[in-house]
Amino acid sequence: MTQTHDTRTDADVMIRLEDLTKRFPGAQRNAVDGLTMDIRRGEIVVLVGPSGCGKTTTMKMINRIIEPTSGRIIIDGEDVTRSDPDQLRRRIGYVIQQIGLFPHVTIGENVATVPRLLGWDAERIRARVDDLLRTVNMDPAEFRDRYPKQLSGGQQQRVGVARALGGDPQVMLMDEPFGAIDPITRERLQNEFLRLQSQVRKTIVFVTHDIDEAIKMGDRIAILQEGSRIAQYDTPEKILTAPANDFVRDFIGGGASLKRLSLTRVRDIELSPWPTVGAGDSVDQARAALLSSQRSAVLVLDGAGRPARWVGLDDLRHEPVRSLDEIGAVPQAVVEPQATLSDALNELIAARHAVTVVVDESGRYRGVVDIDQINQAIRSMRRSAVDEARTDITDAGARP
Amino acid sequence: MEFLEFLVDRSDDMLELGLQHAALVGAAVVIATILGVALGVATYRTERPRQIVLAISGTFLTIPSFALFILLLGPLGLGWPPVLLALVLYGLLPVVRNTITGLREVDPAIIESAKGMGLSRRQRLMQIELPLAWPVVITGVRVTTLVLLGIAAIGAIVNGPGYGELIFTGLARVGTPVAVNLVLAGTLGVIVLAILFDLLFHAVRRLTTSRGIR
Repeated sequence: MTQTHDTRTDADVMIRLEDLTKRFPGAQRNAVDGLTMDIRRGEIVVLVGPSGCGKTTTMKMINRIIEPTSGRIIIDGEDVTRSDPDQLRRRIGYVIQQIGLFPHVTIGENVATVPRLLGWDAERIRARVDDLLRTVNMDPAEFRDRYPKQLSGGQQQRVGVARALGGDPQVMLMDEPFGAIDPITRERLQNEFLRLQSQVRKTIVFVTHDIDEAIKMGDRIAILQEGSRIAQYDTPEKILTAPANDFVRDFIGGGASLKRLSLTRVRDIELSPWPTVGAGDSVDQARAALLSSQRSAVLVLDGAGRPARWVGLDDLRHEPVRSLDEIGAVPQAVVEPQATLSDALNELIAARHAVTVVVDESGRYRGVVDIDQINQAIRSMRRSAVDEARTDITDAGARP
Repeated sequence: MEFLEFLVDRSDDMLELGLQHAALVGAAVVIATILGVALGVATYRTERPRQIVLAISGTFLTIPSFALFILLLGPLGLGWPPVLLALVLYGLLPVVRNTITGLREVDPAIIESAKGMGLSRRQRLMQIELPLAWPVVITGVRVTTLVLLGIAAIGAIVNGPGYGELIFTGLARVGTPVAVNLVLAGTLGVIVLAILFDLLFHAVRRLTTSRGIR
């Protein structure tokens, strides 16, 4: 472990696990073996490790779905190891991979579960449900009265998150929440969730077996070995640039520099400009814009400034040319600012014009990311990693 | 034709016996359902008690009904009491078995998420598990009803109420022209009741099952 307790005041610590141990009946070894760990307020801590390392058991001991054999759980300064588990769980959001929405009640009633348990009045619950559905980008009027089976997997998972936020808990536990969802939807949900977290600032314990997801989602990552022993507990940057031991190095696997692309968000880099025209502009204007740039196509924006079409020279050549928003191709590679460079690179590779279009939250065009920018980001990360390693060596030398 | 005339002739009888039959079976089904669901709820999570309850309620069904009515004659006398008790015993198995099956089939992820949100054991049972198991439970109740409608007719051997009276009167007059008509009328009455109960259960099942799991 690279952290020590005395460097921080207790007020920073939301969850403290003390010597937490779980041995299942009949097991030879402890599933979780004397784990001690602090989780800071407002951070996403990802527990990651090979299957069977005890990460899920660890998480489920925090809300005592699994009762610890020994050790203590302290949440917000309060020892909850022996308190009433039902009361405890109402204060902790819980999202599991299988989602587990109640199929026999509506989406609205699902989301209202915890507020109802907390005894809120009907008016407050109704307002809260609508609020939460909007928070996870679902229109309350459209979805409130539907049943879970009428929703797609991605929509169900959104509802799962909204439901977990029901009682406005300070702590959320998420067990592979995006694990059972197709890759494209997963990426979108991850990004949405990060945006949500930047507003709500919950303390989140997030379990995954996927190191890439851990790097993307975590403010801090705990890489766990068998028995939930901590191999390294640190920021994603540190884990990628300075793995503590061979176990961590093996677990990160190849392509550490590629993974570092997941550390930088699109909003953190300067976007490139791209020639654009409005959908209402004439074909001649589009042709002029295209010829005056070095690019292979212009981006047509609709009335609200959202990317509508890629229009290339070939498209403009067809006679008779119809209006600009009827030719060319619909942009596929589009990301929002909180996407990682790794997401942008993924999109870019498949994209027709080798760029990824960046839009803001309401879908308006902001700029593009191209391969040069990604290259540059990799170079600057490598440079800072080298610098950091150098400082570490100097520090170590300076220490008595 | 002769049989139809017989039915028209006895239509008052047919109606009264039908109401008796339905009331008897209805009461037995209600009691068996309450007991059966309670037994199922009490035992579905524990291996041994579950097996014991299923074994015992299964054993009841193997006792010939004729024998059971006569055995209960001693302690309970003639009339409806021995018949009602026997019907309850016969009706337990389908309800208990379906309650246990229904509760055990609820997706563990749903129960875990309910637990994780702080629903107590009782709340989980009443708000999540039983509503989800309900379609299976009510199917068991329906099977029980159909079984009991038939068995109830035999209850006439100890002077129980219902269509059994016609059948046993027919039996006593075998060889006379009216015997066949009596037995046919009793059987027809039971069949009509079975159809009516079945329709009722369809309606109840639809009305009491959430749209989300239909």
